[in-house]
Amino acid sequence: MNMTLHPLIVLLFFPGGLFLLASGLIFQWADRKLVARFQNRVGPRFLQPLADVLKLLAKEEVIPAGVHRGLFIALPVIALAAALTAALYVPMFGIQPFFSFQGDLIVTIYLLSALTITLGLAGANSVTRFSLVGATRTLTQLFSYEAPFLLAMIGPALVAQSWQIGKINELLSGTTWLIIGQPIGFLVALVGLMGKLELPPFDAPEAETEIVAGALTEYSGRGFALFRLGKDIELVIGLTLVAAFYLGGIANPLEFILKTGALLLVTAMLQTAFARLRIDQTVGLWWRAGALLGLVQILAILVGIYIRQSWL
Amino acid sequence: MAFVQQGENRFIVPIGPQHPALKEPGHFEFVVDGEIVTGASVRLGFVHRGIEKGAEDRTWTQNLYLMERICGICSHIHATAFVQGVEKLAGVEAPPRARAIREIFAELERIHSHMLWLGVAAHEGGFDALFMYSWRDREVVMDILEMLSGNRVNYSANLLGGVKYDITPEMIDKVREGLNYLEERLDHYLDVVNTDETFIARTRGIGKMTREQAQLLGAVGPTARASNFAYDVRVDAPYAAYAEFPVEMVVAEEGDLHARFVVRILETVESIRVLRRIFDNMPESELVARVPRRIPAGETISRVEAPRGELFYFIASNGGEKPERVKVRTPSLCNWGTVITLAVGHKLADMPMILAGIDPCFSCNDRLVMVKRNHQDPQLWTWADLRNYGIEYYR
Repeated sequence: MNMTLHPLIVLLFFPGGLFLLASGLIFQWADRKLVARFQNRVGPRFLQPLADVLKLLAKEEVIPAGVHRGLFIALPVIALAAALTAALYVPMFGIQPFFSFQGDLIVTIYLLSALTITLGLAGANSVTRFSLVGATRTLTQLFSYEAPFLLAMIGPALVAQSWQIGKINELLSGTTWLIIGQPIGFLVALVGLMGKLELPPFDAPEAETEIVAGALTEYSGRGFALFRLGKDIELVIGLTLVAAFYLGGIANPLEFILKTGALLLVTAMLQTAFARLRIDQTVGLWWRAGALLGLVQILAILVGIYIRQSWL
Repeated sequence: MAFVQQGENRFIVPIGPQHPALKEPGHFEFVVDGEIVTGASVRLGFVHRGIEKGAEDRTWTQNLYLMERICGICSHIHATAFVQGVEKLAGVEAPPRARAIREIFAELERIHSHMLWLGVAAHEGGFDALFMYSWRDREVVMDILEMLSGNRVNYSANLLGGVKYDITPEMIDKVREGLNYLEERLDHYLDVVNTDETFIARTRGIGKMTREQAQLLGAVGPTARASNFAYDVRVDAPYAAYAEFPVEMVVAEEGDLHARFVVRILETVESIRVLRRIFDNMPESELVARVPRRIPAGETISRVEAPRGELFYFIASNGGEKPERVKVRTPSLCNWGTVITLAVGHKLADMPMILAGIDPCFSCNDRLVMVKRNHQDPQLWTWADLRNYGIEYYR
């Protein structure tokens, strides 16, 4: 689907800005509700995520002693900004991205990682022990899933011969779903996304029974709300990317809802099915299994492309 | 707030007295090197309630209700320990049916306590699905207890010399239904604990305690039995109706967290089995034997197997209407040493599970602890000493 809108509307309302925030909250609700139902709980009401954000925004923001004030205030803003910017290059809601250039795939992935890095910095900035341990774990986890996740994103790019998300999405629409040709890549991408979002069982960086809230222990009001929103948007972007690359592209809003919804269902199931991994287990899993599988997948694709080019 | 201590090389992660991992107040300090724990210490005493002292001011019957409120989870077993001690002093034996009913409540309580623990321990390991499901199924046994006694927590089943209410055949039918369901679910949980890869990765080989360590540290209950230390008051010194309806002791070899899970789940299954046996052969008799208002002077020891291990009561009477002294030693108190010892060398992420592994109960093990560095004799304090200590402390 292609639309022409004034750039300001695109940035502030649709499909960026407000609309993106709303969809982040809806995805957060759906995720929480699904996990709750899988765990035989009732789960939150539809407006609960919005109520949480409003409550947090209304709260007094306590800046703890011993932190760098500027960083403490700026980091949540940077995190949310990174997530919102990344969304511009992704075919959100099945609409062609409004801003696009050769190589925007790498920029998007970089922006998504920037969010995690701000989390790590936020933890390292405060002097609380829980935050410091949480920050260490956040960054350790970043270094473990990032490479396999990137490899899993490169696979479809190689197939489509493009570094432009919009173009990859267009080329893959209507063809055989890549999940059939590259099941390993799909798995690595989806599980990598869960590691990125610190969802269970990869939630060691914010394991509440060990280190309270991890890196965000000292954040209470506005800052916490912004970080939370940033993560919600990252969830939407991540699901959209995986759906566009591996589930046959996203051509219209209906496909967007169905495909990302199906992916969310799978991640919710995975979140329910496992006990939390220790951080050393997470790193081991990613480097021993994830990265190797990703490399094997890339090699297979390269060999496939080579054979096709030399034979045809 | 917990700040990093500047100028020191030690990095201490505090857990408690307010912490998401602990639902009760206790304070633990773990010295960590990166993620590895190199030292641990425990501080208790945040909820000292003075129950032992309070018992000296109440009559024998009133104390029954006080003792039941020592613990919110194993309430019945505390009252049973007290009642049995008093009966021993008075030279009275409870009628057979009353003793059988005591055992029924004790075993139902064990089922609910172990299922509660299963959920809490799974939650500490980040396995919330098991937490939610085991607590849902625990409601079945809670409903059974409510149907039998009218209460979910303080059943108040015991009287001096017997029990307060009978269990009718209609009730037994309903209980059997619930037990059948629970047995099925527990088999499933045993399967989950034994087969789930991520769960095994978090429990197998973690917090390993040898039989010698268990003996040396004075571990009791399932914690000790998981380390192949075969000791169970129900088997070794039967009380209530355990002589007529014996239980089989569950022990495991490994001594790690996984063994503690297996032992507790199998114990719950064994409880269901013994309950069925009691229901099949309920003895017929009256429910209460007469106990005098004044208990003859003397001292006695009463031991029972609470869900967490051996519960020990010392009761002294001076021949009056009130006890001279009641001393309670709860099983959690015996098991703290194992936590502090086992913690060293493990990862910080394992701490909540090792802590939960002994099924700690905080408020029932808080005692008056005297720590005095410059005092000559820490055992004997005069009134003037105590007064001075108080003045100095708050100066």
